[in-house]
Parts: sequence; structure tokens; C-alpha cells
Amino acid sequence: MKKSKLDHALKIRLPITVLVILITYAVTFFVSRAERDGIGYTPEQPIKFSHQLHAGKMTIDCKYCHTEVDKSRHAGIPATDICMNCHTVARKTKPEIQKLVKFYEGNQPIPWKRIHKVPDYAYFNHSVHVNKGMQCRHCHEDVASMDVVGQKHSFTMGSCLNCHRNPKEKMPDLFVDSAKVKIKNGPENCNACHR
Amino acid sequence: MNNNKDLINLNDDLEPKIPMEFKEGVTDDFSVEELSPVSRRKFMALVGASTAFAAVSCSDYRDKKEVVPYNKKPEEVTLGRPNFYASTCTACALNCGILIKTREGRPIKVDGNPDHPISLGKTCSIGQANILNLYDPSRIKSPIKINKSDEFFLFKKDVIEEKWNVIDKEITDLLKKATSENKEIAIISEPITSPTAFRLFEDFKVKYPTVKFYFIDLFDENNKKNAWVKSFGDIPMSPLNYKDAKIIVTLEADVLGRECNFLENSGEIISNRNAEKHEEFNRIYAVEAGMSLTGMNSDYRIRLNPAQQLAFVLSLVNELGLQKKAFNLPGNVENGVKGYSLDKFAADNKVDLKTLKNLAFDLAKNKGKSILVAGKSLPEEVHIAVNMLNSLLDNKSIYKSSTFVNYYPKSSKSEFESLISKMNSKQIGVLIQFDANPAYLLSSEYGYEAASKNVDNIISLTESQNESSRLSSYVLPINHNFEAWGDYQTRTGSISLQQPVIAPINNTRQKEAVLLNWMQEKPEEYKEDIYHKYLMARWEKEVFTTVSPATDFNSFWYGSLHDGIALLKDNSTPNLSFNFNAFNPTSTLAANGYTVVISKNYFLRDGKYATNGWLQELPHPVTKITWDNYAAMSLSTSNELGVKMNDLVEVSANGKKVTLPVLVQPGIPEKLIDVELGYGRTHANEVANNVGVNLIDFIGKDYKSKFIRTDATVTPIPGHYQLASTQEHHMLTEKFVKDLHLERGIIRETTLDEYIEDPKKLKEHGEDKPHFSIIDRVKYPGVKWAMAIDLNKCTGCSMCAIACNVENNIPVVGKEQVIKGREMSWMRLDRYYSGTDEDPIVSQQPQLCQHCDNAPCENVCPVVATTHSPDGLNQMTYNRCVGTRYCANNCPFKVRRYNFFDFREQFAKGYYEKDSLKPLYNPEVTVRSRGVMEKCTFCVQNIMDARSEATKNGKDFDGTGVKTACQISCPTEAIVFGNMNDPNSAVSKQIGNTRNYTILEEINVKPNINYLAKLRNTVKKEEV
Repeated sequence: MKKSKLDHALKIRLPITVLVILITYAVTFFVSRAERDGIGYTPEQPIKFSHQLHAGKMTIDCKYCHTEVDKSRHAGIPATDICMNCHTVARKTKPEIQKLVKFYEGNQPIPWKRIHKVPDYAYFNHSVHVNKGMQCRHCHEDVASMDVVGQKHSFTMGSCLNCHRNPKEKMPDLFVDSAKVKIKNGPENCNACHR
Repeated sequence: MNNNKDLINLNDDLEPKIPMEFKEGVTDDFSVEELSPVSRRKFMALVGASTAFAAVSCSDYRDKKEVVPYNKKPEEVTLGRPNFYASTCTACALNCGILIKTREGRPIKVDGNPDHPISLGKTCSIGQANILNLYDPSRIKSPIKINKSDEFFLFKKDVIEEKWNVIDKEITDLLKKATSENKEIAIISEPITSPTAFRLFEDFKVKYPTVKFYFIDLFDENNKKNAWVKSFGDIPMSPLNYKDAKIIVTLEADVLGRECNFLENSGEIISNRNAEKHEEFNRIYAVEAGMSLTGMNSDYRIRLNPAQQLAFVLSLVNELGLQKKAFNLPGNVENGVKGYSLDKFAADNKVDLKTLKNLAFDLAKNKGKSILVAGKSLPEEVHIAVNMLNSLLDNKSIYKSSTFVNYYPKSSKSEFESLISKMNSKQIGVLIQFDANPAYLLSSEYGYEAASKNVDNIISLTESQNESSRLSSYVLPINHNFEAWGDYQTRTGSISLQQPVIAPINNTRQKEAVLLNWMQEKPEEYKEDIYHKYLMARWEKEVFTTVSPATDFNSFWYGSLHDGIALLKDNSTPNLSFNFNAFNPTSTLAANGYTVVISKNYFLRDGKYATNGWLQELPHPVTKITWDNYAAMSLSTSNELGVKMNDLVEVSANGKKVTLPVLVQPGIPEKLIDVELGYGRTHANEVANNVGVNLIDFIGKDYKSKFIRTDATVTPIPGHYQLASTQEHHMLTEKFVKDLHLERGIIRETTLDEYIEDPKKLKEHGEDKPHFSIIDRVKYPGVKWAMAIDLNKCTGCSMCAIACNVENNIPVVGKEQVIKGREMSWMRLDRYYSGTDEDPIVSQQPQLCQHCDNAPCENVCPVVATTHSPDGLNQMTYNRCVGTRYCANNCPFKVRRYNFFDFREQFAKGYYEKDSLKPLYNPEVTVRSRGVMEKCTFCVQNIMDARSEATKNGKDFDGTGVKTACQISCPTEAIVFGNMNDPNSAVSKQIGNTRNYTILEEINVKPNINYLAKLRNTVKKEEV
């Protein structure tokens, strides 16, 4: 029996085309999920520290613990002795605080799980952004309302540039009082972040 | 390039003449035998398995690991911000003040301390590269006791790592035993410059009365000192002052590179070569054998065999005193110089008589404002003659108003001889090698190594293993410069403090603390701050009371610690009168056959820093050779011997023979070989071992003319060697390429007088013509970065290159890779010769990324990894680079560097990839991996830092306050960097200078590195 052209198209071409389309779709979907950029990553921390309680309910300023955020590249994960400023007295009997005291007294650093990260070759500088008037929530979302902190925005180069190119659109709350606005478009050249 | 002449020579047997089509080494990488033994099948299996593993490990791809904060954060640390600590460099006896930059408690960079009155904010190549020694993987980690067998090496089976307290107990028992048996306790140390260490040594002598100290120094100044005492009486020497000198004559003295305090000299000499203040412009005459930095930068260079130096000075005295009657000569001097004359001298030594007459004319004209300086290698009588000529010329301001501080005199030849005979006759109870390496520094004539077999207890205090620690029974690791306390005083007037900036990385102790601990009642109960307290106690008792400031001791101490320096009252004004009876016209040197001049290496000191890869790979400032020493000789000498570059010769002097590769070097006298010390280490780390040849044996016991051997023989021997050079040069006689750098306007220079007459003449290379471009020039409205390098101030010392290496995490690649042209240094010092082979004129030019406005590299990058920033930087984005190397090929300046390997892993089997080195890297600069192009970034990390500082303070960034690493380290302030759009910035002032030019102007790439033309202060024709 002689094979017809239609036969060939149905038996070979069509399945291959469909397969390629499916694979492409699957790969693209997998790669471009928000999850891939870390959004929604909410790891369990060694101590169940609640930002909602400290920053939200008690309205402790972010900079009380993240002391370096306006001085340096890093925001600074607070050293244990900052916790101990209060917790030498406060809530000493609670099990999580006892964990904290154990770390402190045993001279062991607390291995906090890292949530937000830009790659090593990107030199993001917290102090420049904070000193220009940007708020923590513009990248980290409203941490003060999170009991367990997770990542809400992506930290890819695309998301950096999105904001650098259209700060007004991305951070409308900063542009309310247009007379006082100091924020210009962010730099877009490579050396701004990579060196 | 193939040497066709050898290939075409087909006369006898064909086979050995044309063994290969390509040059040796080119095809090595593809040799089948050297391919990996892993088969294709195995490889596929491995790929499959690793993919599977990767898939499994990716399952938790969201895990970003831990971020670990301090438990108790030190108050002074701000994460991400550097701290600076003032300290003192102990890499050599100059003890410059340094500022150590630390990040999160680890030192990452060393610069000079600007408050230091002597070093004035500059520090040399060794001082800067010393940071690599701190993290060196070969540092000994804990004290070691070696069970004695006849041959023993560290880290082998019969080595026991011991606890300090056990060793302390054992050693104090040994010391006590030696004292009770009245046997000598010999301590061999490098010369000390620390008043507190001096006090400690004295105390140690009191505790153990049989102690005798020996001070070993390869580059001692005994000749100079003895001459000083004979000339001026027994008073301390004073440092030279070049500030007021109009005429500087150096005799075998590399005052810009190796002699005295060369950093201070460079600053003073070069600051008086300012084209804008031409009435103060000094003139340098260099009279020398080997080509040195001073010779390269001099206005007149007279090549002379050092044996003729005395004749030279005496001829000058004759000319000035008897012919020109510039001064009166006492009777004995007149008799002594009668037989000499400039004419005879010029004829005998083939020196240009006109130059000599110029010199005599200049000296007579600038009486009181000239300075003659003799190198420490020259014999005593030359120093006396130079001292005499200086005082006859009434050069009063030649010396500074402070004097050198002396501690112990350096041990003489006879002292070492008696030590060794005592060792052989078993009279030495304990021998302590106190951070000194006598087994390497004493020539084999002494027989130190054999004698050490007769000493039962040898204790070595050292950072890492060396030739001497190999002979010991105890090896005690000591703290590095940056881990130690101390104070140093080299001159009256100030005292410099050293403080630790990091806790000892390994289980080490400070060397002074070890001695101090052995003096305690219970040495096994060591306290970490023992020497710190001792130092403070001495300061409170002695320094504080002499300074008597209006504060209490604590404020004084912490103030001094902060500044790194305490200023003292200085009442020493030298009052010198020359004693003419000391004049001695008989020379102890006579050229007889070949002369070997044994020089100090620019970067390795006496070989101690041969362990440092950065210093080994820093090209020699004159010859551009890395990783080797060699026999430098003139073209005529090489022709006479029938050798070419890279051939081998056997040099024998002082009864010792060594084989050295030949380097043909312009500007060396005939029948003279210039060699360098510091190589041929055998028991150091993997970097230093078997690099170059050890020439200590040439020095021998003879101390009169330690560095000059006039009775050598040189014979060519068959064989070939490959020197690794970063820049070669052609024959100066070759017509096609002769003076090409001048003709193409890469180097532009003129004489001072011509410049004063017509400054515009320098601009004759056509930059006034507009260049045609098919695109509009990009505008840079805000800050625009540019650099100006004043070639008139650049000496070519290469300190900028090492500063760049440290700042920008530049790897060491090793000799093999340098031969292939793959060195990674972003800063290159180009050296050009013009003139003749006999008397070359040398030009220097630092070459780095030019950050061109129309950068040719940017157009050809297929992945847009190299682009231009709005502030005029040519940016290199490593994570985009795929390594096509198109950019490097299209760069007209050849300043891009490619990571052919992960060089840290490639070099010496990953020696510089070890964990101990990780804290060394500057965290603000990416560590580049294999397959990535890199180049100078204008220290963009410093720019970004200044920019964020401005933002923090709510200011618009105007480009002030940014300094590049090379600029900070330049001892003559030749490099200026800044915002060229700001008319008040230093760099735009330099760009506005008439001497300013950019190179390869005709290709219209618009570089942002500006060079300022060099001026040579030669004599106008009509003046003579």
C-alpha cells in the first residue's frame, strides 16, 4: 500500500508539531512561573520571629533592628544582641525567646533562612535607595503585616529596571507631593549594578 | 614568530633542523598523549549522572541558604563599609606608615598613611602586596616539633604538631640549661628598628646572660657608614634631602627605585621636575652600570663600570678644583687627584666628554645646590670621595635635619665566622632563628648548614617554612605584620606605631611575645596581650614622658594609635665638617675580565618576598621580565660571547659557577653582567621554589665590594631557556621600527628649553585637525570621568600595577601563561627605547583601558557585554560576556585581559584557590572566572561609593572625592583622576595643559586617558 501525503501529515507531522508546541508551552510555563523568581517563598525560620508583632503591632521602626540600611549596601540582619536589648527582660519565659537566649549565651549565630537575594554579581545598594526616600515596602511589600515573612516581588534584573525606568508609575505614593519629590529615573547603565 | 633563518639552514641533517612546523609550545595543548584518559563512553555516563543529580538538587532551587548575622556585633563594624587602621609596614627596614583597609574585620587593602611624616601616604610594591602573605596557604598553622633525623622536612611523617605551652616549657628548660652550662644562646635576627624590641632584647640578655644577638642583613650599608664615620666623625648619619637640589648626580645609586628611602626620594626629586615651575627644574645625572629606574629617568646617563667610579669622582674633583678653580683643594687631595682628568677619563671609558664637561659646568654653577650620592654597593673610598666633593661644593642643604636612629650594629663577617666555629665546636646551647633566614642569606662559604648539624637545639620563628626552618627542631609560627603590635623608629623626630587589624588567623604568636614569654616565671601560662602591655608600659615610661603632652597617657596612647605616629621633639641638626685626612685615592676595585654587578631585586627584597605571586609576576620595571633572574649584558658583549637573548651562559665569580639565561639590555657597559638577587629559593612555598637562580654565593665573605665582582668569567654554554617577558624590544638599530613610538606620537617628549621656547611645538602630531566621524559625538552632560598621567612625573616604578592587582582581585597566572602573553594585570607599564644600544633614551608609559568615547571594543561585542555608561566609562559586564574575545582583538591599545582559565585553579595546582585566600578578595569587585574578558574599570567601586555617599548626604554628585587605586599608590602623584566636566577639577586642569595629548589620535577613538609629555632637562647647545 502506497502511503499518501495525508497519511504522512497525520501520522508524523501533526504529532511532532503538537509535541513541540506542548513542550515549548510546558517549559515556558515552568520557567516563567512567579515561583521561579522566588515569589511566595516563605521558609521556616529557626526562631518564629513575627514581623507583624514587632513592626506591625508594636510599631518598632525598621531601622531599630536593620541598623545599616541607610548607611551601607546591606540592610543588615540584626545581630542577636539587638534582640537582647529587650529580651533580657521581655517575655523571658516564652519557648521561642528561650531559643534566642540559648543562641545568645552559647555564642552561636542564628542561621536565619535567607528570603530576598540578588545575585552575587549585582551590587544592590540599600542606602542609596532608602536615602532617596524609597520605602522598604516598595521591594519587600508590607513586612509589618506578615507573621511569617515571604518574598512578594521578584528580584530579577527586569524588576529592577521596571522601577528604574518608571518610578512614578511603580511608586505613585512617593509622587503625591510633586514639589518635594527628589526621585528621578534610576540609572540604567551596567556599571550601576555590575562591576 | 618563527625565526626563518634557522629553518632555511638546510645544510647537513635535515631532521633535527625542522622538527616541527610550528614554534615549540604552540601545539602542546592539542597533543593526543596529553588528552584526558576518560573515554567518550565514560564521559557520556558522567554527563547523564550529573544531569540527574542536578535535577534532584534543583528540586529545592528556592532555598537561598542562610544569612548569618553576628551574635554580638563589634561596635566599629558597619556591614558593607570599610574601616581604616593606621599601622606600620614591617616588610623592610624603612617602616613606612600604612593604612590598612578592613571589611568586616578582614584586611583587604594597604595604602600609605598620609599623616606619616616620612612616607607621606605612600607605600611600596612589597608593602602593598604583603597582604597576600597574610593569607598565604603555606603559613604554618601551629607550632611544630621535629623529631630529629638527618634530613627532615616540614609536614612529613616525623613532624609533631605540639601545643604552645608544652613547647614553651621545653624551650625555657633548654634556655635555663644552656645558661647553667654557660653555653651560648645565639639569636639570629634581621636588624631591628623597633625601640621596644630593642628594650626586649636587652631584657632578654639580662634574663639569660649567655645570649648573643646576630643581625643579618643582605643589603647593609656598612661601606656608607664606615665612610661617614671617617669623613665626619662618629656621629649618626642623616637622610638626604633632595628638595633644594638643582643638580643630582647618582653614582651606582638607584635613588628612585632601590636605594635609601626611594619613596621619599621619588617624591622629592620628581616634585622639582615641574614644567610649570621651570626655574626649579632639577637635572639628574645617573652614572651607573646596570640600567635602573634612576638611569631611565635621568637627563643624562653615563654608563660606567663601577670599578671606575672612584676615577670618575677624582676626575671631577680635578676638573672643578684644579681646572675650573671652583674651590680650593687641601694639599693631600690635590696630590691625590693630580693624575686624573676628565679628558683622560672620557677616553679611557668611552664616555662622551661633552656630557662630563656639562656635569662639571653644572656643578660649578650650582655650587651649594647640588647633591652627589653614591650607592651602597660602592666601596668605602668612593663614598669618602663623594662626601668630600659634596662638602667642597658647599652643599649644605644636602642632609635633612634629623638623623637615623641606630640600634644594634649589623653583625660583621668575623662575628658570623665565630658563630659558625662555635656551632661546630658544640658551644652553642640553643640557636634561635628569629624570623631570619641565615641558611639562605649566608653564602655557602660560611658552611652554616653543615654547622647547624652540630647544634642540638635550633628554634625557628617564622611565618612559613624556609631554608632555615628546615634545619630546626622546633618551628614556631609567628604573626604577620597585620596581626602584630609594635613601634618603629628609623629617624629622630617621630615614632611609628603598629597595631594588629585581625586576630591571628592561625595558632601563631607574635615573635616578640614569644621571647617575652620565655622570660616569665611560668611560660606555659601565656597571655595574648603580653607584648601589647609591655609596649604600652614602655611608651608610658619613656615616650609619654619625653613628649609630655597636655593629656593623660590613655588619650596620648589612643591618639597615637589612631594616627599611627607620635611626633617627638627633634633637636638634631647635623653640623658636618669633612675631615680631609680621610681622603684615600686608592681604589680597591680593578676591572679585570668580566665584572658582575649583583643588584637588589625591585620587588623581592632579599628573597623573603619571593613567596608572593603578585610580586613575582610584576614585570621588572626595566627589563619587563617576570618570574626569573638573568644575566643582563650589552649587545656588544653578547656579540662578543656569541649569544643571543634566552641563550645560556655560565658565569663564574668568587669561585662559584652558575648558569644564567642571557638578556640583552641596552645601556650596560661592555664586559659587564648585571644580575639580581632574591631568587632560587629551595624550601619556601610553591610560588618561590626553584624560580630563578640563587646568586648568594657570588657575594661570599668579602664585604668590601660585596655586590661588585671584578674578576668574573663568562662562557656561553649550549642550551636554551625561555624568559617570560611582558614586553620585548627590537634591535635599536633596525631602521624600520627605530623610534616608531616617537614618530607615531605615542610617546611625545621634548627638552625643557624647547618647551619653554615654544610649548605648541609638542602639538605637531595633528590633533588640531578635526577628525571625521559618521556619527555625532555623544554628549556627557553630567559627570564625565577622565584620567591624566603626567609622563614627566611617572618613573615607571610599577606601584600602580600592584595597587590595581590588590584592589581588583587580579589573579596570578604563572610563568607559562606569561610566556603566552596571558598576564592579567590591568595596568601595564610600557617601556620604549630610542637612541642607541650603548646610550638608550628610555620612555615610560602606563597603559590601561583608555575608556574611549568611540570605543572600538563596544561595536564588536556580539552580546553587548561591553557598553558605555552616561558618565563616560567603558563598562565591562562579566555576567554577559561569553568570551568571543572580539573586543580584545579590536582594542588598539591591547589592554583587555582574558581569563583563559580560572587562573586561581590553574596556577600551581590551585595554590591561590585555597580557602585561606578567600578573605583576601575585595568584596566590592567581582571575582572573574574562566571565559570572561576583563579590563580596567576606573575603580568603579570607588566611584559608586562616592556617588552613594553624595546621595546619603542629599547632595548632587559632582565627581569629587573619587580616587583610583593606582592614583593613591603613585609615589610622585603622576596620576590624576576626576570629573573632566568640572573646570576646577585637577584632571581638567591637566587636560588644559599644553603638554597634554592622547595616543593614537588618528584613529579617532577619543581616549579618556590623557598623557602629559615628558620634558628632559638637557643642556642647550649654546650653554657649553
